[in-house]
Amino acid sequence: MKQVVLSRSALVTPLGDGGDTLWQQLVAGGTAIAPLTRFATGNYISSYAACIEGLVAADAESLMAPLLERVAEQMGPVPADCRLLIATTKGEIDRLETRSRAGLAPTLADLPEAFIRQVEQRFHLPPGGLNINAACASSTIAVARGAALIAAGQASAVLVYAADLVSEFVFSGFSALQALSPHVCRPFDQQRSGLNLGEAGVALLLLDEERALQNKAPIMARIAGWGAANDAHHVTAPARDGCGLILACRQALSSAEISAEQICAINAHGTGTLYNDAMELTAFHALFAERLPPLHGIKGSIGHCLGAAGAVEVAVGARALAEQLLPPTVGCRNPEAVSDGRVGEKQQPLSGDYLLCCNSGFGGINGALVLQRIMS
Amino acid sequence: MTGWINGIGWVSTMGCGRGRTAGLVPIWNDRLAIPARKDLFAHTDLRFGRLDGFSRTGLAGITMCLRDAGREEWQDKRAIATMAVTTSGCLQTDLDYQATVIEGDGKLASPNLFAYTLPNCFLGEAALRFGLTGNSLILQQNGGADLDVLSRALEELTWSGSIGVIAGFCEVPVAGLACPPTGYGSLFVLIEGIPDPQSGCYGKLTLTGNKLFFNDTPLASFTHLMDACFTVTDRRV
Repeated sequence: MKQVVLSRSALVTPLGDGGDTLWQQLVAGGTAIAPLTRFATGNYISSYAACIEGLVAADAESLMAPLLERVAEQMGPVPADCRLLIATTKGEIDRLETRSRAGLAPTLADLPEAFIRQVEQRFHLPPGGLNINAACASSTIAVARGAALIAAGQASAVLVYAADLVSEFVFSGFSALQALSPHVCRPFDQQRSGLNLGEAGVALLLLDEERALQNKAPIMARIAGWGAANDAHHVTAPARDGCGLILACRQALSSAEISAEQICAINAHGTGTLYNDAMELTAFHALFAERLPPLHGIKGSIGHCLGAAGAVEVAVGARALAEQLLPPTVGCRNPEAVSDGRVGEKQQPLSGDYLLCCNSGFGGINGALVLQRIMS
Repeated sequence: MTGWINGIGWVSTMGCGRGRTAGLVPIWNDRLAIPARKDLFAHTDLRFGRLDGFSRTGLAGITMCLRDAGREEWQDKRAIATMAVTTSGCLQTDLDYQATVIEGDGKLASPNLFAYTLPNCFLGEAALRFGLTGNSLILQQNGGADLDVLSRALEELTWSGSIGVIAGFCEVPVAGLACPPTGYGSLFVLIEGIPDPQSGCYGKLTLTGNKLFFNDTPLASFTHLMDACFTVTDRRV
């Protein structure tokens, strides 16, 4: 099996463009969650979300195009032989909304393959891109699949492009499900009351480690292990015993060939909903027993970026390992007692080489990745 | 990479079917009757009535596939993955949901429809009904739904801890869009690491490089796969 590394990343998030900007804001405890101005929210249970500044779409077109442009410009050239994996849950849903409101039927441009072509063309890659839709675990599973391709020698470079938007379509749905927080969300807090939506565009370049070393390519972290599993419990609610997440994490630990004791930190999904966060803490206790490592979640800073959430968190997790520092979990003022003081609004120093990154989504899906620190 | 096809189920223009009981090779075209509960289950199923058309069509294909393989009944959850390729996915559900948003300026947005505006949700429906704990994901690609999903399924079978993968396609009509090349409906096959010792199997699926073979013959399409499976004379074990 070949080793897989995360070589480069490009991020456009509500906290700004670039990994450095995002990292500095996260460490400082910043948040971009604010009252929405993109559409009227008077009929919904919340008016808060985290939006990217300066995104402007051409007339009746989608914000996904300018988002892609900003990410691609930041990323720069990628190897021509890259396999492309895309992770978006709703893609250009904002254009579909506009057309629906105008009474227009969908066109071929509204199909996912049209967006796949856009991404292929913008990164100058040949046809063959694949969109992976696994709800809010989409990009986690795309990274896992990309890593598996490289590990098996089927590819030596994989570009994961993940993006999702704050749209009224999705906002209204989470509102109807009573899943939105009316305030800035509070992941893992005793008084948490729901999630805030966010948006992001992320590119992650995965390389065969040998190739990266030969080409003197930068290395952010090794993708050491991965796993995915379904709760087989409910379509929109997580299994309370965390069975699917436990299974996915155990697979990730097993493929990384490490024990749970070697994990020095967790980047949790931490949506801020009552059930998700409780489920995650249950799962982490099952995995780590009395030795729960420091954990954090970034959704109090940039909201829940849906299919792009995992990709943002992989980039943040790699940086956290390199800096040996876990950013604060914004909004977690009164942590759940069962978190054993391992999560809160303060930064936490790390001491170790492996970080667990996990996400869960509708359909009962769970994805987990183990990132490994690479000493330069 | 090699796997064995141990079950086949579908929703075609002729309705729900499965390999071991069908008299005719299924046909998919521009006509589709979305399956009703009674087409699938003899017992009442309160959840089924809540499903959108895409989920009903996909879930029915997976149910028929598991029934064909003798795996519908279960006691303990099973590490079986599910994977489906689709061109338009749940786009019609998106339109139906969006209509509920527009109708009351958001006040009447349907939480039930919204839950099915993610195309992977029918895989979750299958997972919870049949105890399937493997990976579950939807694939969308440039060029529409094709046999690549079976290649990805063989990769999943080889690289993950899953004992089997249910893989196929699912398409339903979308107002204003033409019928995709596969036709409307769904087709799912259960691919496992060994031939089923009780029920027998249809044949061997092999991925060599980028090429997919069924019983050592190159595969060109889902229809081609069905034709080949129906020539296997001992499938009704």
